[in-house]
Amino acid sequence: MKPLSSRKLNLVKRSIAIDAPDATSLLVDFLGEALVWMHTKREAYVAVRFRTLTESALDAELEGYIADSFGEDIKAVTYHEAEVKRNVEGTWATTIIFDV
Amino acid sequence: MFDKSHLDRISPTLWEIPKAFRDDMRAPARVYASESMLEEIAKDRSLEQLVNVATLPGIEKWALAMPDVHEGYGFPVGGVAAFDHERGIISPGGIGYDINCGVRLLAADMDIEEARPFLHDLGRTIFAQVPSGVGRSGKLVLQAHDFDAVLRGGAARMAALGYADSDDLARIESGGTLRDANPALVSDHAKARGHDQLGTMGAGNHFVEVGYVETVFNKDYAKRLALSENQITVLIHTGSRGLGHQVATDYIRLMNRAMPKYGLVVPDRELACAPFLSSEGQQYFAAMQAAANFAWANRQMIAFEVREAFARVFGKDAPTLKTIYDVAHNIAKVEEYRIDGASRKMVVHRKGATRAFPNQPVIIPGSMGTASYVLMGQEAALSESFGSSCHGAGRRMSRTAARKKMGSKTLREELGRQGIVINAGSNKGLTEEAPFAYKNVDDVVNVIHDAGIAAKVARLRPLAVVKG
Repeated sequence: MKPLSSRKLNLVKRSIAIDAPDATSLLVDFLGEALVWMHTKREAYVAVRFRTLTESALDAELEGYIADSFGEDIKAVTYHEAEVKRNVEGTWATTIIFDV
Repeated sequence: MFDKSHLDRISPTLWEIPKAFRDDMRAPARVYASESMLEEIAKDRSLEQLVNVATLPGIEKWALAMPDVHEGYGFPVGGVAAFDHERGIISPGGIGYDINCGVRLLAADMDIEEARPFLHDLGRTIFAQVPSGVGRSGKLVLQAHDFDAVLRGGAARMAALGYADSDDLARIESGGTLRDANPALVSDHAKARGHDQLGTMGAGNHFVEVGYVETVFNKDYAKRLALSENQITVLIHTGSRGLGHQVATDYIRLMNRAMPKYGLVVPDRELACAPFLSSEGQQYFAAMQAAANFAWANRQMIAFEVREAFARVFGKDAPTLKTIYDVAHNIAKVEEYRIDGASRKMVVHRKGATRAFPNQPVIIPGSMGTASYVLMGQEAALSESFGSSCHGAGRRMSRTAARKKMGSKTLREELGRQGIVINAGSNKGLTEEAPFAYKNVDDVVNVIHDAGIAAKVARLRPLAVVKG
């Protein structure tokens, strides 16, 4: 997704606070909330700051810009193949499949 | 890759994975396909997904895959499953994110030779009239109360607003309105995503296509549907847009949280479900119906826009465009079937599958540049496939692979050589939908015909394709 903005100075902030049964659901649902803001406000987010983050809850602030258009139509964040777990390097990782 | 040795042959067009294949299966899984098609089907995870569907509580008879089956989220696309109304579940993954994605067929009192000089004009005008592509808004932006009326009324509401011809509603599945829709159960998020999308096509594999009847297979059925060779047709393929996607997202999330309460565990998160008669199940069903109504309203509005386009191009000589039929291919319905000698209510999930009741038209859109079909549902569908048929050609290649295989310029030239006019908002979107990315629609439809589920009536060919 490449948002094009001719108004880079229009910084926007959105807050998301959610809980979920587990880390995978938390990530998918968080991205789903960001997607709703993206669609309804026509914004693209370039940074996130977590005020709180546990395996079952988060309180975050997104920063981004108003987008002139979107190159890709991301319609949903799915749970397909998603599983948050530590990889061999010890990093938390997962695959996320977007419905486009 | 699914090991095909686990499939038992029931007939040349029907195969079964027995219940004993896996301990947690509650029913067998069946696939409608020719032997040669099975090779392709076994390559992705659609059959594993079908086996997963067969583990869901309350499933009756079999989990079914149509010949256009391919891997989806949770349920495979091209899947049908029926669950007992009282003991069974409802699962948003069994309907799909694009609730009531479906197709409407219209036919004009005009033939191909009369239309041919105007095809470029028609393609351009439809492209201008019907908003398409990412982020495009429709012309009709409704405020809250009026928007809820559309979610409640579907195509009937659009008729009340003056956007339908007199016999449109009678030729739409369920009259274009599901009566137990509840707009209050559609979230503000979903309404915000959908409020300006009425009358829009979207992107991806959605399209409006002007075509013609190339072949009539069954003259009696064709006469009944007022279809004749060389007649101009219009296909509209789209669904509930962002609203439907958000309804699905909201309720998959809700059900993921509710499942422990009911002791439900599923092999795939996208199979999240709830007992149909539970509060969560009923809430989703009512919201799904509202989203389905939105999709029917959307296709009705697009039909109006296409009629306007014809009027602009042909002026006083504009043909009448009559709706032949409009079908959903992502939906759940409560229907009655005879099981073990008794009539029982089932919650039939169709995800990339079309209702095929006896004497009901079935519209099967092919991929861009190939062919589409009109079929007529047969009696055997009720006993063999929960009144269901395939929905299209079925994808066989990812979008990325399709883009790598051929550039948009070459594709346009190739389609141009076939006499097909293309108006597309995105070159990327065009190549992703190239004909080679899909299974052969003739093979898919022949399986359905040979299985006795629906009989071939007519084959349509494209002339002008409009997509986002």
